[in-house]
Amino acid sequence: MLRRRPRGARAARAAGAERSALGLRRAALGYVGLFVALPVAALAARALADGPASLLAALRRPEAFTSLWLTFRLALALIAVNTVMGTLMAWVLVRHPFPGRSLVNALIDLPFAIPTIVTGLMLIVLYGPQGVVGRFLSERGVEIIYAKPGIVLALLFVTFPFVVRAVQPVLMELDRDMEEAAATLGASRWTVFRRVVLPALLPAILTGAALSFSRALGEFGSVIMVAGNIPLRTQTAPVYVYGEIESDNHAGALAVSLVLLLGSLFVLIVLHRLQTLGRRRDG
Amino acid sequence: MRYKRFIFNALFGIYGFGVLAAASGCGRGGDNPTDTLLLAAYTVPKEAYEREIIPTFQRHWQQKKGRRVVVQQSYEASGAQSRAVVGGFEADVVALSLEGDVDRIVEAGLITHDWHARPWNGYITRSLVVIGTRPDNPKAILDWADLARPDVEVLYPNPKTSGGAMWCVNAIWGAGLGVGGGATAAPDSAGARALVKGIQARVKVMDKSGRESVTTFERGIGDALVTYENELLLRTMQGRAISFVIPDATILIENPVAVVDRNVDKHGSREVAEEFVRFLHEEQAQHAFAHYGFRPASPKIMKEVSVHFPEPARLFTIADLGGWAQVRETLYGEDGVWTEVVQELARGR
Repeated sequence: MLRRRPRGARAARAAGAERSALGLRRAALGYVGLFVALPVAALAARALADGPASLLAALRRPEAFTSLWLTFRLALALIAVNTVMGTLMAWVLVRHPFPGRSLVNALIDLPFAIPTIVTGLMLIVLYGPQGVVGRFLSERGVEIIYAKPGIVLALLFVTFPFVVRAVQPVLMELDRDMEEAAATLGASRWTVFRRVVLPALLPAILTGAALSFSRALGEFGSVIMVAGNIPLRTQTAPVYVYGEIESDNHAGALAVSLVLLLGSLFVLIVLHRLQTLGRRRDG
Repeated sequence: MRYKRFIFNALFGIYGFGVLAAASGCGRGGDNPTDTLLLAAYTVPKEAYEREIIPTFQRHWQQKKGRRVVVQQSYEASGAQSRAVVGGFEADVVALSLEGDVDRIVEAGLITHDWHARPWNGYITRSLVVIGTRPDNPKAILDWADLARPDVEVLYPNPKTSGGAMWCVNAIWGAGLGVGGGATAAPDSAGARALVKGIQARVKVMDKSGRESVTTFERGIGDALVTYENELLLRTMQGRAISFVIPDATILIENPVAVVDRNVDKHGSREVAEEFVRFLHEEQAQHAFAHYGFRPASPKIMKEVSVHFPEPARLFTIADLGGWAQVRETLYGEDGVWTEVVQELARGR
């Protein structure tokens, strides 16, 4: 009796822990299901309601696929820029302290906090025909606002924090012994970065890139302000979707939304795969 | 340890406060002895309602019924507002930019009466599509044809994103067709198409609403702005005048108002809603609309203020273009003239 009691208590405790783990898992999955998966599923169901033929017809409209093509191209270009510049920014912040670093650090999060329509407005104030920079450039025949460069600037602004914020903590935790060892063995600084630091940072860079890609696909508020929105020229997919909703073409809007959704899902999955592959190779 | 607990408590406190704040936002006020009316309008007449018509109506209701009336107001783009009402936004009265947006609510079964049966066919305000220019009109823009000139940059809102913006392209289309004003010649579709294409080729920015288009113009973009007369008169009143020309041929814009039957029956607000709509037809309200740049729908008041509202040589209506259903199809449908013109321009043809 005396001996069995603690064992029973331990078993009960173990069962309790299992139960609470189960409860936690249910709570977490229920939450993501209710607030993320359910709306997305509703969108997909509505988009497919009229059958794949009408979905394809909606996508075959020149305005639809041109806007999608523009949006995906820009989002991919932003991955290229953000991975390089974001990693550089994180590197400088962590490894090369400078006066005012905390201010710059705070500045990086700013794009998250600013309503995107204000982002658009800021760009117009700066690069618009009445802006300081805009007037200088337009006198030289360079158009920024109401043209594609305007869209790129808006997307750069709103996606800038992702890679920096993904890479920075990993870089801070990185053990510098390996780098020092490599340097002692005669590796150049570039080799050390490429062979030692970069592989460790890669998963974080990929995460940041994936987030920035998805964000660029869906960005609406700032883009509609600065793009000019001429169909087949400067109209991005989210702006096209908005127009189709406004003109009561829900099928067209849902079809394009579905492509945006699947596109971002695809990239997220691919980048996740790359991460796990990279990790396995390390191990 | 104590420090950590402090942080934890502080964070928890902030979290709890957020939840409480969110929850209290969902609560409803206590009983209200006054009448309430929910007005869902498009954005353009906001100033007229907010500053003049609603305060006057509140005094009117007080005198007539001895009761206070609270008018809750929502201002959104006309199409968005219409869809919101269909989707369950329980407006008692809708004041929208175009017929189609009211008809959408009719089709949803929320408006069950014939809203055209009221005076002036159910419309309370009118306006024209006009051409805004830079001060002193440096590019000498006088009529639609000037907007197709290669040295002119044009702004108008996107008819896809703003139902109201369709008025602008409709005006160009109708002017090209040569309809209205007792025209006898057959409509010139080819000429109209060429005019629409010529002007669309000069369009630099397509904003999502008429008002945003004016704002972009004020930021220094473009030489000409196709928009509504009332919008520009309102700017003049606010001390930010944009000069404009009334083209020889242009379209008459008519803006409807209607009581939403299902919502007023649900709220028990039919009496005050009907009175409000009736009030919009009266002199005071019609004068207020005129004051804020609209052409009054009342012929009597229009005569009184006609010096401010010159009549164009050839004025046509949406009916002259075959009605909204036909215009939506022939201009903005998948094979519509405007849709095709935009595609051709993008392909450089």
